[in-house]
Amino acid sequence: MIEATELTKNYGNVTAVNRVSFSVAEGELFGLLGPNGSGKTTMIRMLTGQIPPTSGSARVMGLDVAKDPIGVRGLVGIIPEQETPPSFLTAEEYLRFVASIRNLDSVDERCDRWFDLLEFGDKRDVLCKDLSRGTRQKLMFAQAFLHEPELALIDEPLINLDPIMQRTVKDFLREYVQGGGTVFFSTHILEIAEEICDRIGVIHNGRILHCGPVGDLVGSGRHLESFFLDLVKGDAGA
Amino acid sequence: MPVPDLFCAMMKEEWRMHSTIFGSLGFALFPAVIAVFALLGSLTLPLFADVFPYDVVALFAHALFLLMGVMVGSFGLMGREFMNRRFGQASLIAYASRSLPVSERRIFGAFLVKDTVYYILLYVLPFAAGFAAATPFIGLDPGLAVLAFVSLALAFLLGLSAVCFLSTLYARSAALLAGTVAVLAVIALAAFRLGTITVSAALPPYAFFLDPAVEPLAISLLLILVPAAASVLFVTVDYPDRTKRFNNRLDPLAERVSTLGSAHFIAKDALDLLRSEGGAGKVIFSFLLPLGLVWVCLRVLIRFIPGIDPLVVFAVLLGVISATIYNWLTEFDSFTSYAFLPVEVSEVIDAKLKSYALANLLPLGVLVLAAATSGGMGTFLPALAAFASVSAYTLAVTVYLTGLHPNVMLYSAGVFLRYLLAISPALLLLIFASILDPGYAALSLFLILPAALLLARGRTRWQAWEMPGY
Repeated sequence: MIEATELTKNYGNVTAVNRVSFSVAEGELFGLLGPNGSGKTTMIRMLTGQIPPTSGSARVMGLDVAKDPIGVRGLVGIIPEQETPPSFLTAEEYLRFVASIRNLDSVDERCDRWFDLLEFGDKRDVLCKDLSRGTRQKLMFAQAFLHEPELALIDEPLINLDPIMQRTVKDFLREYVQGGGTVFFSTHILEIAEEICDRIGVIHNGRILHCGPVGDLVGSGRHLESFFLDLVKGDAGA
Repeated sequence: MPVPDLFCAMMKEEWRMHSTIFGSLGFALFPAVIAVFALLGSLTLPLFADVFPYDVVALFAHALFLLMGVMVGSFGLMGREFMNRRFGQASLIAYASRSLPVSERRIFGAFLVKDTVYYILLYVLPFAAGFAAATPFIGLDPGLAVLAFVSLALAFLLGLSAVCFLSTLYARSAALLAGTVAVLAVIALAAFRLGTITVSAALPPYAFFLDPAVEPLAISLLLILVPAAASVLFVTVDYPDRTKRFNNRLDPLAERVSTLGSAHFIAKDALDLLRSEGGAGKVIFSFLLPLGLVWVCLRVLIRFIPGIDPLVVFAVLLGVISATIYNWLTEFDSFTSYAFLPVEVSEVIDAKLKSYALANLLPLGVLVLAAATSGGMGTFLPALAAFASVSAYTLAVTVYLTGLHPNVMLYSAGVFLRYLLAISPALLLLIFASILDPGYAALSLFLILPAALLLARGRTRWQAWEMPGY
């Protein structure tokens, strides 16, 4: 579903992502882990055609992202970091707005499903600017999955959600992957990755330090947190 | 935190906000552009002295700065949530009453002082400096430029403080605002009808310019300080703890404009305008109020220039002012909101253009009303052509130069200079042609072609700007 080859992104003299290559297979839940400023958000933005890479290439669902960014964004679901929905639409209107952009039918059913699953139907007629951060995150989650994409790319999926909703979302993501969907998400919360990911990549200073199944770590008796800290501190000291 | 410290911090913040976007030089040159235009304009004064006597030009300059004060005030300080919007997105310090022990009143006071100093430095001072530089060449006393600086600053502040006062009234009660505006309008109309008030008396800063005596100065200061103080004293901020609920209006609105395409974008623009703070009120402040002022000035002008057709000139100016609707349409939107959806920049711009076309029904209605009430139906068709063409052309220039960011980009010296250079010659030419014969205003239809070209190029240009590398 995702093939990244030597992806690099420079912002002036700063290299945010440095010659990163990896792939994510269909039906996989892949977590990109890294400390703040390590290049996670830049990676997601390149994979979804929001910013072009300085060099290297990426194919997402068979499309060359640099050549067809709109095509990629039409196919996948994206939850960007910190982006908030338009202020003066209600939650329901925003989902309908996204549905119109994506030319979806059965909009009522699609909206109801997400209001029910994420338990924010009582906020459907509230202006987005008046929603709490957690409810806005639910709304962004709903818009990303409204068209039932085969691949979702999520920047910090559980940010601002309470523990109950985090459980709901984690269960949904597992079910979604078991049903054939693919998820690529970034996070710096290691417990989430350890709990639900099939595979992880660890990124630091724009470089992938490790890429492999979570099961390998568990099998070797190591805890993800100590593994991650050793990797990142080792890289910082190198 | 003392007000002077707040003021200094806000000044730094405002400077850094703009200089970060345009570069320090680009923003610092903005007043220089104003000064150069004022210099060039002043140098032409003797050429047109027969048509535009100096006191008429002075009246227009004061009306212009009054209008600018109204627009600056109304743009930033509209409605119940003006602080939430303006301060929440654009000014972190001014939003500090939520997180720091600083009262809204103190913040608002500092904000008002900051806007006063900031805009006087940005607009009034360079304008007066440009005029001062021209005085030796046009046989005027350079001291007149100092007087002009004071009186124009007073005119600007008169507009600013009036709008601040009205917006504070609105924040307290929409009915209170409506009542106050109605009473003021009735008094003003009655005074003009009865002939008990002259133009200079109605605009004390202008009266002070004509006769720099204590009385008009005192009246000006009184009319500035009392409303400004009242607006600070009674300011209220509506924090978003009052949840607003609305039924789905997006689909019904989109249904109504479905034949235009981009229906949901157009419906969203409409809801943004209607539900944002001020609602229709902000249109009254920033659109109808300046238009009313322009209309009054034109009615005065025909006493001095008999050949002028007020409806046609009004239509030309209406076209320019109408283009500010595009600023409102883009105020609540940013392409980053669409960057993760399958949407092209050109699609968003196209939708804004359609929204703009629909919103132009309002100025069209104003034009019809002006024609009907002034007995100017004889020149309605050329006026209509002038309005539509100038509106389309000004919009096209705005879109080409600023994309989806007119509220920010027009403060760049380079962009603003190009904006003025693109629009001013066409306007002046049209106004002079219409003085020769109102029918010549129909020549404005020739502006449609460059407008179409600019719009086409603007779409490509801003696609590349918003999505560099694609």
